[in-house]
Amino acid sequence: MARAESPPTHREIPLARAALLPVLLTAGATAAAAALVSGATRVPVVSCGAVTTVVVAALTVALARRARAMRRQRAEYEHRLAVLEHRLATHDEEAIRINKELLPAAIHRLRVGNSPDEVLRDIVDADEVYRDLPEAQRALVRTVLNIIDNEEAMRDSAQRAFVNVARRVQAIVHRQASELREMEEHHGRNPDVFDDLLRIDHGTALIGRLADSIAVLGGARPSRQWPKPVPLFSVLRGAMSRILEYPRVDLHSIAKVAIIGTAVEPLIHVCAELLDNATRYSPPQTRVHVTAVEVQTGIAIEIEDGGVSLSEEARARAENMLARAQAGSSMNDLGESPRLGMAVVGRLSRMYDLQVSLRQSAYGGVRAVLVVPRAMITTGPAPGIAHGIGATSRPTSDIDVAGMKHVVPPRSKRRKPLPVEARPATGPVASDSRPVAASAAMGDDAPVVTEWTAGGLPQRRSRGRAPLGSHNLPAQPAAPPSGQRNGHANGSDSGKEQPPGLWLEAFTNAVNGVPQEPRTGEDTDDAWDKGDLK
Amino acid sequence: MSSPRRERREADPALSDPERLYVITGDPDGGERAALDLVTMVVAKEQPTPTVQPEQAVILRLCQAPLSVAEISAYLSLPFSVVTSLLTELLASELIESRAPIVRATLPDRSLLEAVMHGLQKL
Repeated sequence: MARAESPPTHREIPLARAALLPVLLTAGATAAAAALVSGATRVPVVSCGAVTTVVVAALTVALARRARAMRRQRAEYEHRLAVLEHRLATHDEEAIRINKELLPAAIHRLRVGNSPDEVLRDIVDADEVYRDLPEAQRALVRTVLNIIDNEEAMRDSAQRAFVNVARRVQAIVHRQASELREMEEHHGRNPDVFDDLLRIDHGTALIGRLADSIAVLGGARPSRQWPKPVPLFSVLRGAMSRILEYPRVDLHSIAKVAIIGTAVEPLIHVCAELLDNATRYSPPQTRVHVTAVEVQTGIAIEIEDGGVSLSEEARARAENMLARAQAGSSMNDLGESPRLGMAVVGRLSRMYDLQVSLRQSAYGGVRAVLVVPRAMITTGPAPGIAHGIGATSRPTSDIDVAGMKHVVPPRSKRRKPLPVEARPATGPVASDSRPVAASAAMGDDAPVVTEWTAGGLPQRRSRGRAPLGSHNLPAQPAAPPSGQRNGHANGSDSGKEQPPGLWLEAFTNAVNGVPQEPRTGEDTDDAWDKGDLK
Repeated sequence: MSSPRRERREADPALSDPERLYVITGDPDGGERAALDLVTMVVAKEQPTPTVQPEQAVILRLCQAPLSVAEISAYLSLPFSVVTSLLTELLASELIESRAPIVRATLPDRSLLEAVMHGLQKL
C-alpha cells in the first residue's frame, strides 16, 4: 500500500510542471506573434493566442492527469498481479504442505482410530500453521479424510469377515482334531483304523494351517493359546505336523529350551510355513534338515533344503515379499494366485519380532534362518522333551523304575514259558472304555487291575486276572476259576493239591484257545494221567 | 464359538500337545509294524543313542527291565499303534529285543507239548 501511495505524490509536482512548459510556449508564441504583427491584427492574434494557451493548458493538464491516472492504474494492476501471483504461490505451497505433511499426519491419526472430526480438530485447529486454513482447503481435507475413513471401514469389515470365517474354520478344526485324538486313543489297538485316523488327522491339520494363515493375513493374531511353556522340540514337531510332507523333515540337535506359551502358536505357524516352503520347493526324494542352536539374541532355527538354489533374483523377490508383509501389506497385495507362505511369515515375524532371512544353502538349496528372540524363551521347567513324555509320564517314568522293581521281577522269573500273562495295564490316562476294548480284543475276561502304587502307577495283582498264565502257578489259590474253566473233572480235583499234569494240560487248552471242546477226551487223559502219576 | 473349545481344552489337558501322533510315528501310512502284541515283553539292549527320537529314548530307558508293550503305551500315554511303530523302528535298529515269542501267532506244537508232558510225568 505504501508503494502504491508514493508514486502519485512524486508525480503531483510534475503535473504543474508538465503543464507549465506548453503553456509558456504557447504564451511565448502568442506574445511573439503579438509583437510581430501590428495594429489591427494584434487584437485577434492576442485573443486567439490567449484562447490557444488556455486550451493547451487545459489539454495538457487533462492529458497529464489522464497519464497519471493511467500510471496509477497500471501500478495498481501490477500490484494486484503481484498479490495474486503471491497468493497462487502460497496456495501451491500450501497444497504441497497439505499433501506432504498434513494429510499423512491426518491419515496416520485416522488409522490409529480417530474419527475425521477429531483428526481435523487435532491436526488443523490445534496447529497455528494450519489454523487459518481457508475454508475450501479445510473442506478438501475433510472430504479426503471422510473418504479414507470409509475405505478403511470397508477394508476393516472385509478383513474382519475373513478373520471371522477363518476363526470358525479353526474352531471346527480344533474340535475335529481333539475328537480325532480321542478316536486315536480309542482305536489305538487297531492298526488299520488307526492309520486311517492318522491320515484324516493330517488332513485336518493342513486345513487348520490354511485357516490360521487366512486369519493372520486378516490381521488377527493366532487364536490358539498354550497355557504352559512348550519345549522347542515339540514346537518344531507341531510345525511338522501341519505340513504335507512331514516325513521328509529331519530334526537335528534341537536346543533344549522351551518357548513361552504366548509365543508357541505363532512360532509353530512360522516354522510350518517355512518348512512347507522347504519341502515344496525341493525334490521329493531330498530331506529337509532343521537345527536349532542358541545364539546371542535367542535361538536360531535353521531350515535347509536340498532343492534348487535360490537365484539372486528369486531371493530378492522373496525377501521383498517378506519385507512388504512386514511393512503391513494387506490382502490386496497378494495378487491373483496368492503365495501365502511368505506373506504369513512376514506378518507373524513383524508381530512377534522374529527375524527371518533366506540364504543360499551350502548344499544347493535354500537356507531359511529364523531367529527367535530371547524374550520368547524360557529355560524354566518345561513339561518335557516331547510329546508323550510330557507332563504326565515324565515324572512317573522315574518312579516307575522303582515301582517296577516289585512288578517286574516276579514276571521275569517265570517269564520263560508264558509272558502272555501280562495283562493290558490301564495306564494313568487311559479312558475307562479302554480296558473293555482291550479285553474284547484279547477275547478274555476283563482285566481286574487295580491297585495303585504310591507313585500313581497301576499295579497288577499277581493272581486272578490272567486266565492263561494263572495256570502256570499251581500253588496259587487262583484255582477255582481255572477249575471251572477247564472242566468238571479238574474242578472236582482242584480242591486240594493239583497234580502237575492238570495245569500243564490246562495250559495247552488255554493256549490252543479251545478250553471247552476237547473236554471229554481229555478227561480220560486226565484220569489216565492221574492214575499214572499215582 | 470359542466357549465350547475352551471347555473342551480344559476338560482334556492331555490334548495340549502341539504335535500330532502321525509325526511321532513318522510314517504317513503307518508302515509295516512288527508283530507285537499288547503283552509282548520288550527289553532294551543298549542305552539310548543321541539320534533316536525322544519317545524312543524314553522307551529304551524304561525297558532296562522287561516291560510289556501295553505298559509302555500307558507310561508314554501314547496309543498302542504308535508304540508299536516306535518299537518296530527300534527293533529294526536292534536297540531293543522283544523277548516273548508271539504267542498268538506261533501256537506251540501240540505233539511237542505232549511229549514234554509225558516226559514230566515219567519223572
